[in-house]
Amino acid sequence: MRRLWFPAAIVGLIVLIAALAPLLPLMDPVRQDVANRLAAYVPGSPMGRDEFGRDVMSRLIWGARSSLAVAFASAAIAAVIGTALGLLGGWFRGLVEVLAIRGADVVLCFPPVLLALLVVTLLGPGTGTLILVLSVLYLPGFIRVSFAEVLSARGQDFVEAVRALGARTPRILLRTVLPNIAGPVLVQVSLAVASAVVLESGLSFLGLGVVPPTPSWGLMIRGARATMEQAPMLLLWPCLALTITILAMNLLCDAVRDVADKRGGGGAPKLRLVDRLLPGLFPAPAAPQPLLDVQGLTVEIAVPGGIIRPVDDLGFRLDAGRTLAIVGESGSGKSMAATAIMGLLPPAARVAAGVARLDGEDLLRMPEDARRKLRGGAMAMVFQDPMSSLNPVHRVGDQVAEAIRAHREVPAAQASAEAVALLKRVGIADPERRARAYPHELSGGMRQRVMIAMAIANKPRLLIADEPTTALDVTVQAAILDLLAELRREEGMGLVLITHSLGVVAEVAEDVVVMYAAQVVERGPVDQVFARPLHPYTRALLAAVPDGDAEPEGIPGVVPRPDRWPPGCRFAPRCAFATAACETPPPLEEVQGQAVRCVRWRELSA
Amino acid sequence: MSEPLVVAEQVEMSFAPRGILARGRPVRAVAGVDATVARGEALGVVGESGSGKSTLGRLLLGLLAATGGAVRFDGQALPKPGSAAWRALRARMGIVFQDPFGSLDARRTIGAQVEDGLAIHTNLSAAERRAQLTEMFVRVGLDPQRLGAYPHEFSGGQRQRLGIARALATNPDFLVADEPVSALDVSIQAQVVKLLAELRRDLGLAMLFISHDLPVVRHLCDRVIVMYLGRVMEEGPVAEVFARPSHPYTRALLSATPMLDPARRLTREILPGEPPSPTNPPSGCVFRTRCRHARPECAETVPPLREFGSAAHRVACIRADEIN
Ligand SMILES: Nc1ncnc2c1ncn2[C@@H]1O[C@H](COP(=O)(O)OP(=O)(O)O)[C@@H](O)[C@H]1O
Ligand code: SF4
Ligand code: SF4
Ligand SMILES: [Mg+2]
Repeated sequence: MRRLWFPAAIVGLIVLIAALAPLLPLMDPVRQDVANRLAAYVPGSPMGRDEFGRDVMSRLIWGARSSLAVAFASAAIAAVIGTALGLLGGWFRGLVEVLAIRGADVVLCFPPVLLALLVVTLLGPGTGTLILVLSVLYLPGFIRVSFAEVLSARGQDFVEAVRALGARTPRILLRTVLPNIAGPVLVQVSLAVASAVVLESGLSFLGLGVVPPTPSWGLMIRGARATMEQAPMLLLWPCLALTITILAMNLLCDAVRDVADKRGGGGAPKLRLVDRLLPGLFPAPAAPQPLLDVQGLTVEIAVPGGIIRPVDDLGFRLDAGRTLAIVGESGSGKSMAATAIMGLLPPAARVAAGVARLDGEDLLRMPEDARRKLRGGAMAMVFQDPMSSLNPVHRVGDQVAEAIRAHREVPAAQASAEAVALLKRVGIADPERRARAYPHELSGGMRQRVMIAMAIANKPRLLIADEPTTALDVTVQAAILDLLAELRREEGMGLVLITHSLGVVAEVAEDVVVMYAAQVVERGPVDQVFARPLHPYTRALLAAVPDGDAEPEGIPGVVPRPDRWPPGCRFAPRCAFATAACETPPPLEEVQGQAVRCVRWRELSA
Repeated sequence: MSEPLVVAEQVEMSFAPRGILARGRPVRAVAGVDATVARGEALGVVGESGSGKSTLGRLLLGLLAATGGAVRFDGQALPKPGSAAWRALRARMGIVFQDPFGSLDARRTIGAQVEDGLAIHTNLSAAERRAQLTEMFVRVGLDPQRLGAYPHEFSGGQRQRLGIARALATNPDFLVADEPVSALDVSIQAQVVKLLAELRRDLGLAMLFISHDLPVVRHLCDRVIVMYLGRVMEEGPVAEVFARPSHPYTRALLSATPMLDPARRLTREILPGEPPSPTNPPSGCVFRTRCRHARPECAETVPPLREFGSAAHRVACIRADEIN
């Protein structure tokens, strides 16, 4: 809002002054006074007089009137007609589209100034002609912008939804589509007005626009040019007026677009990064050494309201050749924990405490250089959306080969051969041909296989898979999970599988960590935890799974935001067993190979 | 009441390639499907992505005009999309989408969006509309105080409730829910499924519930149809289909569904290869390229849906008797 206020005030002021020109105590802008020709100052004329002795300030203000009127009128005409054409063309397609878009293309073929010259020569100079020329010039821009926006909006579910409600086309176009294309159209308006002010001045300067003696900024510059040496200030004033107007217009339209855009989120929050690393105060790992040993892992992000902790005191151990699953609802911190271990945290986040030892080496305190050598080598990660992790312009075989060559010095030909072997290894049929395909030519399941091929290219000891099958069909999911299990078995790799599907956990993992609101609430062997869940959250999650005979039960409410965590047990607001005792934060207690964070676990499991 | 509320007979949908210079074969997204949904009944549609589930839903709603076969609603053939009769019919049908983010207009208040149906189809005053809106909000478990809020202030589960409220504002007879819970956490899924079950019971809604999550369908629906490449492979009462899946595709689908107790499910059958392109489906049984029971004769004729076990349970496989 504050960003809107300032440019709005300036534009408002300029428009207001121009509009009120007849009421202001100004001198007549066209009255000549040869005696005071080029005078720098005359009482009543603070900006002096021009080459005919006319008052500069008065001409500046009256000039704003004609310049702005032309600019706004032509931008408005172009915006209304252009948006309407674009809207209709994009909605109805077919003939309307052909006429509107091809018509716009024809206009765009002419250099703007040439077109303007042509029309002015035909119709004679004057304000009306100028408005006509400028509207025609800006029309294609509006048509194209709104056309493109309509095309993308019409495919959206919310447009389909209003259509499904039986809304008439005009209602859909005005109520639903128009507001959604308003942002880009507003930007186009700002560009058009700003450029119309310039073009108007340019044409008037050439004597093709506003007809003297009517004042306009262009005409003022034209007049001042001749006397540039004697009275340089005469040139400065209209140029200054032009610049300020254009700047203010652009700022205003930017701000209007931001305000009109109710999509929320707005700009990314500005975050301060304070890097203070606490020394790890943890006992040395007990022998035998696990493959991955995470203790007390805490991630902090500084946000405007303070510091949030999306991962708080996370701990688990993973042995080579085993699978550990991390489950929890979205927003519980699973992915943030994985990226922290991999050293891939977003810039705003930092590890505030904890250790994560891969074969005894602390990943969190290692120089980034050393960690980069491990990433893609000894440890690798697979993400949920393979499309965003693959480079769309390179063949998948080359991308796999690149992953190999990033860590090992092998000749290109050998890397390509290895890449094909890897694609075969992950179950891609006809790997020679598929290696030459681009990511978009493959199905989702195949892209995920390619990602896995890249991840295992250098025989990692640890593989972290973050929701690797969430976006896939169950049939494809089953195949991918089988592949991961096989790789783990045959290569002795340790697998951390992040998922929100308890069924997937039951199918493939030996150990499970249940996370809620950044904390571990329960941990232990899968058989044990699923057969005898100790924490009310684990029980509730299991009860929500629809695959038993019992009616699935949801958990009321949602995971609270990281800045709104309840002071005591974080699950308390949604917990069916919450009592006054739950207002103090429960510690994580170890019981027979299981760990649980609930003050009432003993009585509840009795 | 003679005929079910919604009846589709051999309905077909081919999407022609777009554009003036476009070439190539049409995509046959739905290839001759019979389906009925009775008043108060919930019919589940399952299958992998691309099997034509969403297209079938839109055909039954009349949002797409079928390129073959016929759809009747309440005894009448569906009018041409866009006509006045078609628009009036919108009040009697609703749709809920999968994506809780894309299905709501980010730039309008939720109140205005849920109100749309009433504004279009009724002459109620603003105050009366507001009253109905408040009632609908309470019914789907949302706070009516927040009518003026924008979608981004709501969580995924709440947005799905909003989508449901919007679809039900005009008190329709028929609701198509296209994967309404697939994008939600399991804890939230169960809430929304429960809400749909309640609404269906209280309002006597006929419902087409599209999902790729078989266990959810089992709890919510009366009957289910299993689709593959635009065709029905198996259909029947949920209890029967889930207890005795008889088509090789249904069995593969069920065996791939992860279960809390893996011992309870069928032995995992991994389907080889990828689904064929719907522009060029295999001859005969469309599933034969991935079916481990396929024989040369499977390529010859399209297997018809035949009764199997009981009158309501039907399977489209020529070898159903041998393999079960
Ligand atoms: N508007 C459309 N134009 C062209 N092809 C389409 C269109 N809508 C769907 N299809 C195609 O029809 C087939 C079935 O799609 P769909 O009904 O969305 O399946 P499902 O909902 O089961 O995933 C797919 O191959 C899809 O690409
Ligand atoms: S501590 Fe209390 S509120 Fe938290 S899970 Fe246990 S019983 Fe529920
Ligand atoms: S008809 Fe043949 S190919 Fe098709 S499902 Fe039956 S056995 Fe398999
Ligand atoms: Mg679909």
